[in-house]
Amino acid sequence: MIGFLIQRILQALLVIVAMSVIVFLGVYAIGNPIDVMIDPASDQALREALIHRYGLDLPLIQQYFVFMNNMLHGDLGESFIYRLPVLSLIFSRFPATLELALCAMLIATCLGIPLGLWAGYKPDALSSKAIMAFSVLGFSVPTFWVGLLLIMTFAVELGWLPSGGRGPTANVLGMNLSVTSLEGLSYIILPALNLALFKLGLLIRLTRAGTVEVMSSDYVRFARAQGLSEGKVVGLHVLKNISIPIVTVFGLELGSTLAFAVVTETVFNWPGMGKLIIDSITVLDRPVMVAYLILVVFLFVLINLAVDLIYGQLDPRIRVKASS
Amino acid sequence: MKLNFKLGGALAVALLAGTMLGHSASAQTLTMGLRAGPDSIDPHWSTLGSQAEALRHIFDTVVMADENLQLKPGLATSWKPVDDTTWEFKIREGVKFHDGSELTAEDVKFSIDRIPVVTGPMSMTIYTKQVKETKAVDKYTLHVITKAPAPTLPNDFVRLFVVSKSVGMEARNEQFNSGKAAIGTGPYKFVSWEPKGDLVLERFDGYWGEKPHWQKVVRKEIPNDPARMAALKSGQVDLVNYVPATDYAAMQKDKAVDTFIADTVYFMNITPNVKEALPKPAKVDGKEITENPLRDAKVREALDLAIDRKTLVRVVLEGLGRPANQLMPTNFFGGSKNLPERPYNVQKAKELLAAAGYPKGFELDFFCTNNRLPGDAAVCEALSQMWARAGLKINANALNGTVFFPAQQKGEFPMWMSGWGTLTGEASYTYGSLVHTADPKTGLGAFNKQSYSNPEVDALLEEGARTMDDTKRRALFEKVTDISMNDRALIPTVQLQTVWAAKKGMMTVPPRVDQETLAYEIKPKS
Repeated sequence: MIGFLIQRILQALLVIVAMSVIVFLGVYAIGNPIDVMIDPASDQALREALIHRYGLDLPLIQQYFVFMNNMLHGDLGESFIYRLPVLSLIFSRFPATLELALCAMLIATCLGIPLGLWAGYKPDALSSKAIMAFSVLGFSVPTFWVGLLLIMTFAVELGWLPSGGRGPTANVLGMNLSVTSLEGLSYIILPALNLALFKLGLLIRLTRAGTVEVMSSDYVRFARAQGLSEGKVVGLHVLKNISIPIVTVFGLELGSTLAFAVVTETVFNWPGMGKLIIDSITVLDRPVMVAYLILVVFLFVLINLAVDLIYGQLDPRIRVKASS
Repeated sequence: MKLNFKLGGALAVALLAGTMLGHSASAQTLTMGLRAGPDSIDPHWSTLGSQAEALRHIFDTVVMADENLQLKPGLATSWKPVDDTTWEFKIREGVKFHDGSELTAEDVKFSIDRIPVVTGPMSMTIYTKQVKETKAVDKYTLHVITKAPAPTLPNDFVRLFVVSKSVGMEARNEQFNSGKAAIGTGPYKFVSWEPKGDLVLERFDGYWGEKPHWQKVVRKEIPNDPARMAALKSGQVDLVNYVPATDYAAMQKDKAVDTFIADTVYFMNITPNVKEALPKPAKVDGKEITENPLRDAKVREALDLAIDRKTLVRVVLEGLGRPANQLMPTNFFGGSKNLPERPYNVQKAKELLAAAGYPKGFELDFFCTNNRLPGDAAVCEALSQMWARAGLKINANALNGTVFFPAQQKGEFPMWMSGWGTLTGEASYTYGSLVHTADPKTGLGAFNKQSYSNPEVDALLEEGARTMDDTKRRALFEKVTDISMNDRALIPTVQLQTVWAAKKGMMTVPPRVDQETLAYEIKPKS
């Protein structure tokens, strides 16, 4: 177990180094951040002075080592734009994204798995066909457009829900969350639904495919022959056997939702991390870009680790292999 | 399952009630949905336009600008040159900071001294670079000694925000963002802000100027256009800025909203690169040629004549613009009233090209941004088609600003179109930077990346920079405008217009050329 953890951490470090090199090279290839930020009324001397002040006149390799050295001392630097430590800038926006992503995953899972089970259990029923048609819509219609439709319908025409932004927040365990109040919830429903749609389609199809396959297997037939109720057959044997791919996809989707919910956050003006990173990219705010991507790597490593541990719980065969 | 259903129903009802409550704000509150906001609450951090726009509510400037960017008294009631390198500013008496202390010349001096210490990458030092030192002569008199004669100093001080001396030289963005150091003399007091989030303001009852109507102002940042328009339509905000042209057409018919239109300082200009050799050579008949056709004045005139500006405005910008014949509004200081409207004449363009030795035209790459100004990419594409009618093959490339600006600085474009706003309301800002020969020693021509150089224009601009007399200086700059525009150092194309939309019958938004949305200038509709 410990060897496994160490291996994972080493992997993560390797990816982080690779990531930071790519970001440095990428920003360098685009050009000088000062040229994007500078005021048109500045003269040449001021431009040179600024480039010097931010160390952008040093050779790239030297800039990179200065950054790495600071990072090893726990300092990821300050944003060019806000002059705030990048970590506190990113973490101040993390709770908003976290609650949005979790709500979206909750909607996708609570609807997707039952619907997928049903569609796989009764593949020929009309309701199943309707579910499958809906799932195709789920991941073929662009998120951006669905978001606008949701706003037009529920906020502008019906006036039931707010069109965007985040509701009032309360401090829970050191994080400012908005899901604790009804008004806060009313703000999160539309963006969470919007974000959930793609994952919902994916989970329905994945669950259905697994169910169809498992339903025709020997152990389901034996279970039925044993006289177990259909509920038990599906809930115990089928669900457990199709859960490995579902957990894998769930983990990956959770990671990407947390890191790149940009489109939904933009349409609904949700003050999360996705908007921060996009804004930082447009002004080449390199410290924020690097720090953010490093955190994303960490996030994915953590989620994958959790997924691996859950595999072991779900499938004893994997557990045996890991311990041997 | 049954239970869940009931719970769901109850939840939905409660949510509805919750949102209704959220919407019923008091009549004295103004909620604005704006495209951009500040990067910090420190007014000396950045020259960003939306930063100044937001912070004007909290801090006052020494000199203020009216809706046409012409100067008017601010924290200084009057100013005059004492000698060639000394300006005297009379500071307004009886002005109170939000903490109750009184404004003196020392606070203004402190603010000027503070700028080089704290300013960021969008450096505010451009507004203080002419200053050598400042002296508070008495409690209400400030002398600013400049490095050289500086007739435009009052224009620079339009962006000189005054903070209280009590915040100390150590205060940085953190102290301002938390509100601790956000002590100004402005019409509104700081309540709260977070980056890219809402800025909440409360009326300051001790304000020296006219008392604003709105008791509480919430300034929401909604950069996405459809999201901002939806926020207005759903009643979440009372007012939005930068209404896109397509929405403007629909809103004029909408009975629930009022719209307000204004000319802006933003002009789209084409810049022909007149270097000896183009960074990427032009082609005739598919073969690269060594000479740069854009160096020929006839070619530049032909490019100009082939532009149908009225169609650009009507079709591409959907009416939200005006044909331009110079780089800034004519009523600005140094704007020229002698220049005629630019004609559209494809036949003559063809003749000029033939006379210049390009009867079959030539091929050239042309660059512009696609995300900086409304319609920038569309105008760029349309221009390329218009030039095709005159027999030229101009390949339009619309780039993201993040890629465009560094490449423009490196001089990689043969010809480009970009937006320029004369934010100081006077000519030396624009012409000094765009058409004066690039000269790092004087700092002039910093954005003249096309290598345009005309000794006559240079001499006039330099003389203007030394001339303290307003009338004489104005005449010099008018001449600069005339010469450089007839030379087509840059080819002005269109002046953009901007639109605000608000809840029907709630308010009147005064049009401003700088497109700023200032809560204290917005009056309720009576």
